Amino acid sequence: MTELSKTARAGCLNVSKVACDHCHLEFDETVMIEDGAQRFCCKGCQGVYHLLQDDGLGSFYEKLGDAKLAPPTQQFESSENFDTPAFFERFVTLGDEGFCEVSLIIEGIHCAACVWLNEKALHRLEGVIEADINFTTNKARIVWSDESVKLSRIIDTIRAIGYDAFPYDPSLQEQHANRERKDYYLRMAVAGFSLMNMMSISFAQYHGYFSGIDGDIVTILNVGEWVLATPVLLYSGWVFFRGAYYGLRNQVVNMDLLVATGAVTTYFYSIYITVFKLGEAYFDSVTMIIAFVLFGKFLEVLSRKSAADTLDIITKYVPSEVMVVEGDQMRSIKVSEVRVGDVVALRVGEKAALDGEVLEGEGSMDESSLTGESNPIYKKAGDTIISGSVSIDAALHYRVSRDFAHSTLSHLMSLLENAMRHKPRIEEMANRISERFSSTILALALLTFAAWYFWPHDFDTALMVGVSVIIIACPCALALATPVATLVGLGLGAKRGILFKAAAQLETLSLIDVVVFDKTGSLTHGRPEVVAQWMADEIHAQWIYALVSRSKHPISNGVARALASYDAHLRLEGFAEIAARGVRAQAGEHRLIGGNALWMAEHGISVEPLERSAFYVARDGEMVARFELEDRLKEDAVAAVAYFHRAGIDVQMLTGDHEASARRIAQNVGIKHFAYEQKPSDKEAVIAALQGEGKKVMMVGDGINDILALSRADIGISMGQGSDIAIEVSDVVLLHDSLTSLIEAHQIAKTTYRLIRQNLGLSLVYNAITIPLAMAGYIIPLVAAASMSLSSILVVLNSMRIRYSWRV
Amino acid sequence: MDSWVIALMLGASIFLGGLALIAFLWGIRSGQFDDEQKFLNQARLDGDEDLQDAVEQEQKKNKLKKKSYKPE
Repeated sequence: MTELSKTARAGCLNVSKVACDHCHLEFDETVMIEDGAQRFCCKGCQGVYHLLQDDGLGSFYEKLGDAKLAPPTQQFESSENFDTPAFFERFVTLGDEGFCEVSLIIEGIHCAACVWLNEKALHRLEGVIEADINFTTNKARIVWSDESVKLSRIIDTIRAIGYDAFPYDPSLQEQHANRERKDYYLRMAVAGFSLMNMMSISFAQYHGYFSGIDGDIVTILNVGEWVLATPVLLYSGWVFFRGAYYGLRNQVVNMDLLVATGAVTTYFYSIYITVFKLGEAYFDSVTMIIAFVLFGKFLEVLSRKSAADTLDIITKYVPSEVMVVEGDQMRSIKVSEVRVGDVVALRVGEKAALDGEVLEGEGSMDESSLTGESNPIYKKAGDTIISGSVSIDAALHYRVSRDFAHSTLSHLMSLLENAMRHKPRIEEMANRISERFSSTILALALLTFAAWYFWPHDFDTALMVGVSVIIIACPCALALATPVATLVGLGLGAKRGILFKAAAQLETLSLIDVVVFDKTGSLTHGRPEVVAQWMADEIHAQWIYALVSRSKHPISNGVARALASYDAHLRLEGFAEIAARGVRAQAGEHRLIGGNALWMAEHGISVEPLERSAFYVARDGEMVARFELEDRLKEDAVAAVAYFHRAGIDVQMLTGDHEASARRIAQNVGIKHFAYEQKPSDKEAVIAALQGEGKKVMMVGDGINDILALSRADIGISMGQGSDIAIEVSDVVLLHDSLTSLIEAHQIAKTTYRLIRQNLGLSLVYNAITIPLAMAGYIIPLVAAASMSLSSILVVLNSMRIRYSWRV
Repeated sequence: MDSWVIALMLGASIFLGGLALIAFLWGIRSGQFDDEQKFLNQARLDGDEDLQDAVEQEQKKNKLKKKSYKPE
């Protein structure tokens, strides 16, 4: 038996696994580095362990307990670019006290001990003033004095202890959303506090109403309620005054106006009762109205998508700087300053920021997200580079042919803005109803007041009855009807990995007539998968896995996925990746190579040509395995298409790919209408044409070439593995990438919409019963308060039913 | 029972409750509840050492603040 297969067999039999003293992962004893009493799986772990011991941070391991870490990676880019002016301008903010502040995402945080270690290590650096790491989000905020310490030193410290840090732009959107949420928390805290305390006071009032109570005590209790109700009206209720004001300016009678009028008139009427000692005041109703409706509004805020800021999307998506080659020198400059004719260097793994023509170098580029072409494209001198494509293994220099403002990507972005503006907005049913409802109630209240006043009653009684109409009709249930139902729907979705960005989309999704699918990445996996394989000997599988799992090429990744069960943490020496050819490494005394036919031919191994993409593995010049790969249909694609057909929804497919593969996929899933070789703007045009026929369109896509269609469609759905920008512009994200989620999303939307209609019906029926009672003058404070809570509880309970029907 | 007792009790309880509310609002505003997991872990990992660390951090900040202060 050869040396190679001996070791591999040892791995299979699972002999003597040892845990590394830093990361606690288990490895074969043979591959461990011995260092005194400790054993480490790699140099990285060893380094970090000694660093922590030397710095007196050894108690990290006690805090860590049995938790496992990822071994530190050692391939870092230089941290110098963290000190460049361009970086500062983009990510660093200057505080009032002259300190710098940056937001970072720390990679590799697994447990509380990791947070502790990072904060501790950073605190020890001179010049670091605050280091605050959020365990839940892995985001860190670091404040430092630039005179004492440079940011690159801070980053190096984080990397030295085995973590990595990336800067991120705490974009205005996110900050804004957080601030708004916090603002609502504060307002709700005030309303909740007052409401709860007021309940106990009101209880005494109501009890007294039936069993007799001193006039003095009633007044004292009224004053107590007055004190509690005032901050609620002025602080918590502020949002309604603001909303009513903006509504009036746009000449709309909205729900805010009804709530504001109701609360204010009730408040002043209650003061009048208190001052002139006329009995029980309605302060509890004021608080209750504001608290309930505020809660409904808060639920909406929680589930609202902030208006997409296109500029922000561009800056996130495009590299802000490129390396320009000037003679022998390389200089990093901003993309907007690059001129036509400049030569730009593109490194492995980078995204091309500009369009151009390759001058030197070669390798594969991933254009799938731009063109829908699922296979990596091999580029050599003379070929064109499209901005937005990603280098898989290509390191090359290219001459810029269009400046940034005119690049393919920028052009797409400007089109995107246009597409977003044309997105149809289906007005929510609740809004339509509440507008009419509000004006009706206000008119009814006035009418009641007038009728009572002129049908000889004194002013007091007429006012009281008029106000009671507003109080009883105050739309607590109506305000809660939609948000509670949608929140339940959103929660159901979230548990299944379906992320609705805004509550209103549930309603729109339930009403769609046409589903348009993108092919690559949506109906198919969008990446090469092994469809046929041959191995001379199973023993080699572990070594092949070790070989391909080191590579970033999609073909290698496909093979690695197919062999994932053979993972044995084997270590290879001298691993190298050769652009557009394959990989090679040394396994003990044996030489392993893996790659395409060209790579085999260069090693003197002849292979027969195959129709599909192939990956060959040879050991010491002898072929040991062959894999055939192609972009496969998702397992649930056929079922999803059939589901939409059954639901009476038209299904279409648009792809940028060529006819043959489009036809093959369409036939396999059973789609009759499909179009191929579609440019991004063509896809948008198809959607627009469908909408022109009065149809509501749902688009399912994942690439940059889908963004126009996604943002134009009534509902844009993107896959969680899709490009960031597609996720950004879409309305719903399917985190699990599966089309079963898509079916579930549609079902959840339909159920939720039915629930909303039921809730609205419930609250309208309730109002139809109570408003005549109020107009007839039968409403006392107790009835007002009780009926308000009762209707709200009904709506909430009804919404909870959905959870049972979905068996959560 | 005289009704002023009720008034006093009501006043006192609203006042005390109000203080608690203000403390809570301050807690929300200063971001003490932003990271619920860390919030819990801090109680678990708390110790003299961390207290010392916090104090040193504060001193360092003040020192740097003084240094960067430039008189006109």
